[in-house]
Amino acid sequence: MVLPQFEYLAPTTLEEASKLLLEHGDRAKAMAGATDLIPPMRDKAFTVDYLVDLKKIPGLDYLEYDEEEGLKIGALTTLREIEHSPIVKEKNPALAYSAKVVASTQIRAKGTLVGNICNASPSCDNGPNTLCQNAKILVYGPNGERTIMAEDFFVGVKKTALQPGEIVTGVVFPPLAANESAAYIKHAVRKAMDLAIIGVAVKIKVEDGICKDAKIALGAVATTPIRAPKAEEALIGTALTEEDIVKASVEAMNACNPISDIRASKEYRKDMIRVFTKRAIKQAMEKL
Amino acid sequence: MHKDCDKTYFKKPEFYRLTGENNYVRIDAEDKVTGHGQYVGDIMFPDMLTGKMLRAPFAPARIVSIDISEAEKLPGVKCILTPFNCEWKHKVGNGEFAKEFADKEVLCTEIVRQVGDDVCAVAAIDEETAQMAIDLIKVEYEKLPGVYDPFEAMEEGAPEVNWEGKGLRNIGMQSHMCAGTDIDEEFGNAAYVQHRDYSAHRMVHAAMEPHGAVATYRNGEYTIWMSTQMAYVDQFWYARCLGVPENHVRVIKPLVGGGFGGKLDSYSFGLCAARMAQITGRPVRMILTREEVFQSTRNRHPIYMHIDTAFAADGEMLAKKCYHVLDGGPYGGSGVAACAQATLWANFPYKLRSVDFTARRVYTNNPSAGAMRGYTACQVHFAHDLNMQYAADQMGIDPVEFRKRSAAEPGYVAPAGLTITSCAYKETLDTAAKEIGWYEKKDNMAEGEGIGFAGTGFVSGTGFAVLEAPNQSSACVTVRLNKRGMATLYIGSHDIGQGSDTVMTAIVAEELGLPMDMVKTFMSDTYLTPWDSGSYGSRVTFLAGNAARRAAVDAKRQLFEVIAPMWGVMPETLECLEGKVISKEKAELQMPIGDAMFKYMTVKGGDELVGIGSYYHRTDNSQYNGENTTNYAPAYSFSTGAAHVHVDKETGVIDIDEFVFAHDCGRALNRRAVEGQLEGSIGMGLGYAIYEHNITKEGKILNPNFRDYRLPTALDMPKMRTFYDFAPDAEGPLGAKEAGEGSAAPVAPALANAVNMATGVYFTELPLDPEHIWRALNGMKDDRNSK
Amino acid sequence: MAHKSMISLIINGDPVDAIVKDNLTLLDFLRDQLFLTGTKKGCEQGECGACTVMIDGKPVNSCCTLAVECDGHEIVTIEGIAKNGELHPIQKQFIDKWAMQCGYCTPGMIMSAKALLDVNPHPTELEIREAIEGNLCRCTGYAKIVEAIQAAAAEMNWEEA
Repeated sequence: MVLPQFEYLAPTTLEEASKLLLEHGDRAKAMAGATDLIPPMRDKAFTVDYLVDLKKIPGLDYLEYDEEEGLKIGALTTLREIEHSPIVKEKNPALAYSAKVVASTQIRAKGTLVGNICNASPSCDNGPNTLCQNAKILVYGPNGERTIMAEDFFVGVKKTALQPGEIVTGVVFPPLAANESAAYIKHAVRKAMDLAIIGVAVKIKVEDGICKDAKIALGAVATTPIRAPKAEEALIGTALTEEDIVKASVEAMNACNPISDIRASKEYRKDMIRVFTKRAIKQAMEKL
Repeated sequence: MHKDCDKTYFKKPEFYRLTGENNYVRIDAEDKVTGHGQYVGDIMFPDMLTGKMLRAPFAPARIVSIDISEAEKLPGVKCILTPFNCEWKHKVGNGEFAKEFADKEVLCTEIVRQVGDDVCAVAAIDEETAQMAIDLIKVEYEKLPGVYDPFEAMEEGAPEVNWEGKGLRNIGMQSHMCAGTDIDEEFGNAAYVQHRDYSAHRMVHAAMEPHGAVATYRNGEYTIWMSTQMAYVDQFWYARCLGVPENHVRVIKPLVGGGFGGKLDSYSFGLCAARMAQITGRPVRMILTREEVFQSTRNRHPIYMHIDTAFAADGEMLAKKCYHVLDGGPYGGSGVAACAQATLWANFPYKLRSVDFTARRVYTNNPSAGAMRGYTACQVHFAHDLNMQYAADQMGIDPVEFRKRSAAEPGYVAPAGLTITSCAYKETLDTAAKEIGWYEKKDNMAEGEGIGFAGTGFVSGTGFAVLEAPNQSSACVTVRLNKRGMATLYIGSHDIGQGSDTVMTAIVAEELGLPMDMVKTFMSDTYLTPWDSGSYGSRVTFLAGNAARRAAVDAKRQLFEVIAPMWGVMPETLECLEGKVISKEKAELQMPIGDAMFKYMTVKGGDELVGIGSYYHRTDNSQYNGENTTNYAPAYSFSTGAAHVHVDKETGVIDIDEFVFAHDCGRALNRRAVEGQLEGSIGMGLGYAIYEHNITKEGKILNPNFRDYRLPTALDMPKMRTFYDFAPDAEGPLGAKEAGEGSAAPVAPALANAVNMATGVYFTELPLDPEHIWRALNGMKDDRNSK
Repeated sequence: MAHKSMISLIINGDPVDAIVKDNLTLLDFLRDQLFLTGTKKGCEQGECGACTVMIDGKPVNSCCTLAVECDGHEIVTIEGIAKNGELHPIQKQFIDKWAMQCGYCTPGMIMSAKALLDVNPHPTELEIREAIEGNLCRCTGYAKIVEAIQAAAAEMNWEEA
């Protein structure tokens, strides 16, 4: 199948890219790795007249860690670079994992983490981590730069808070303190090349054996990755006993209202949220 | 040489130099690792057009009108075929033997019966233009009521799918196999009787190479390069449908990127490519998209199986009745044989006093089912082996011992006429049990741990079943020897990836005592190579292998008859070994084969030497007509699969610790080739058992892609060990039996039995994906599988 | 008229200049314009890996890559890994270990293996399986493929030593 026709544009500055996206509106899409664009275009899931490739814009391919700000990932940084990066593995292993479980080696060699979250698929593997680690999305747009907090970024199925002409230039994951830990678990049928049936991300902060803060985010159970506030509340202030964890996992299950589709039923998804919330909390505790 | 040929000149095992060794490589290996090998999609001509099919978006429906006026105007469009602007002389079916069952129109003239059914074809200067032309053709359909459940399809008043009012409603094929002692008496006297129901789901072949054809029309004749498992059968249908004699149709099989039965039907796209090549005078290439392969080619039959079984007090199986309902989709083709085969497998691999088996293949508006690795053996063995396991557990007998009590043995003749020659079924059971550690582990299982076995049997070399009709079922081979002693081998059999071209070459090299590179092999070209009915029914190694051996031996005998008198010895005392003709009795008598051939040509006035060989299985047509009690194959293979698993009861995820596979394939001709087949069988069997499921809604496949139709990846494969050193088969070529098709059958039931043990739930349906197991463990019905 | 672009790139070490339609994939560019048909088309959705090539040393699905994206980059295909008439050790080991049956996944599989061994000369079995996780094989069950890649790694390390 030949792709539908479009014009390929390769701006060399953010300003130029933003202008093109603003000018063409819905008829254009920004592109980095293209791995989430080409297959649906071939399926005619959407059509565009313009693809605006960001790869010729310098300065968007970075992966840095800063004790103050945390992990800074550029819009062109591939999932493969993140998955293999020693600094990511050390400072944020949950993120190294969520980068690694996307699709296949080949897709990750081209696909970017920013593209993964901008695509805003409900099952997007990096969505729950982005949400529960309170990542900052760096945006360039017609009115200059701004930051969108992760919780405001995901708006609907394949919809983000980006305004016309806006481009995500990077994402910043705050540092995890010594008493903080994060985990992500993807549940899928195959060990690779699969979409998540559900995904659970957890971040906890523990002082003197007491959970001081907890964030839990769920994937593939709503139109966007979602937080599970009641599950978080169920953990905060507890000693994270088996009972506390079970309670939180039930709250997480109750927090979601997934759909049934060819990959899994609603009931299964809900119960797996329960099971994997429990396991993700335990995994995070082990890493403390 | 016919079947009962003189075996005087067959080489004895002590002179084997290639058989059972790994001292040569595949003859196509370098082509495959360099990317130089040509599959059909790699064949190009300078003025070649690209073809595309227009397919029904839903079904069933009546075609009200077709408007091609806009598409015709598109620059670059060279030809548009509609059901109304070109005539086809015949419908398409399975083989020549079943031409009266042909039920598929090349292009649907009135009714589209399945989603993806063939409506129009376009040839254009490139793929993009062809695609645009397809989009510009306006077809008006009138939706008709469809039926997507085979039981509903058989009911009075159900919509007629592809049925002309003969026999029972919507039943395209019905088979019955009834033989042995009085079955009611056996059930009446039995110590234990059980009645169980099972079902198996729809799966696809998913050969990595999509189906395709390239066609030219020159000098008034067609040439079609086809990704096929049966070039000669394609030749038959192409000639018949195009309305030309067979001598105007040359079908060539290039490298084929996997078949598994999916390339065993003659499809409309190739016929349309041929017709458009003739109309335009330009070569036409038509390669299907992956979605078309899923929706519009063939798949493995879903089967609903009811089994009644009677056992003696000691666990011996006495009698069995079963009723299998196959969801065939709207067309027969390679699916026709599936029905009779579904009764055949119910015999294996056990002895039974009495059998009463019925199978019905029902027309529905689901995607058409056909042959797939084992025909219906994977489905039937899944049900029937789980049925054995259930009985063993109910009777409190060790499952290995239980299977052995009724196990088939060498020389056994079943009431249904099946004649077992070599049979190491019991040995495969013992090997699998020992290697998986059954006896140490059986009483020390952890929570969620299980070991399961499954035993199966399969045909080794069946054929289109026609009474004494070798001209429709044989495999033929010709060997030519030149004056340098180089052999040229012409084989009709179809290597679709399994390595049969290499095996044929090795067999001929073995018999002629030549190194592999002294044998040049030409294959699967209906103008060039001798007749062979195709790669199916595990017939290639056994039938074509025997044919190749006979051709080589025929050449050898003729050579010996010239050389022996020169040496003053009898011809049968000579042998070909390590590039020489030698005397087995006098060590000093030897001569390079090239020199011997030089002498042969001198004596014979310049003649080169040609040896011919053929082989076919003698049977009768009672499979399709009459009692269905016949011997289906010249030999049978037997297997035991054993799976050791841990099941996560919270999630339903199966963790496979190990899969052990013991397969009786007689003498392995090449160890790596056999291992590759067995390992590949485990892979495909795991896919069937756990990962792969075609989910359909009103006949439309909802997951026609590798994202949601999940082939196991390299990370999903468990540790595997294979065992296959069992006794040679007396009739098999150099002792070999089949190793690549029946081997797919025990995988799913072995896993299911292991999961049953691990969970305490008796699963009766496939696939065992995590949610299926989770539902069962939570007492929930699994109604996700829409019909 | 379809939008077109002029691209300059390196393919298997050779400079190539071409005019390509913007909607042309790298896979179709290689196969239909350059006749490099060793790169196979299996699904066109980035899900089978038969079309794997290396771009700047990384394994990618050429069906999910636009030809125009490759301007200025270096591509290696299956046709480009044998040197001076000698097969690459991975190719030799695939032959020796019978690591292919139908062969349709083989070029992509070998490219994924090469991309691995180029950066990780001592991979574990798990790392090998992860490297080919995006390459589906329907025939072999992957066992012989993994074995061939292990053997190739050993051979290459031996040559280096």
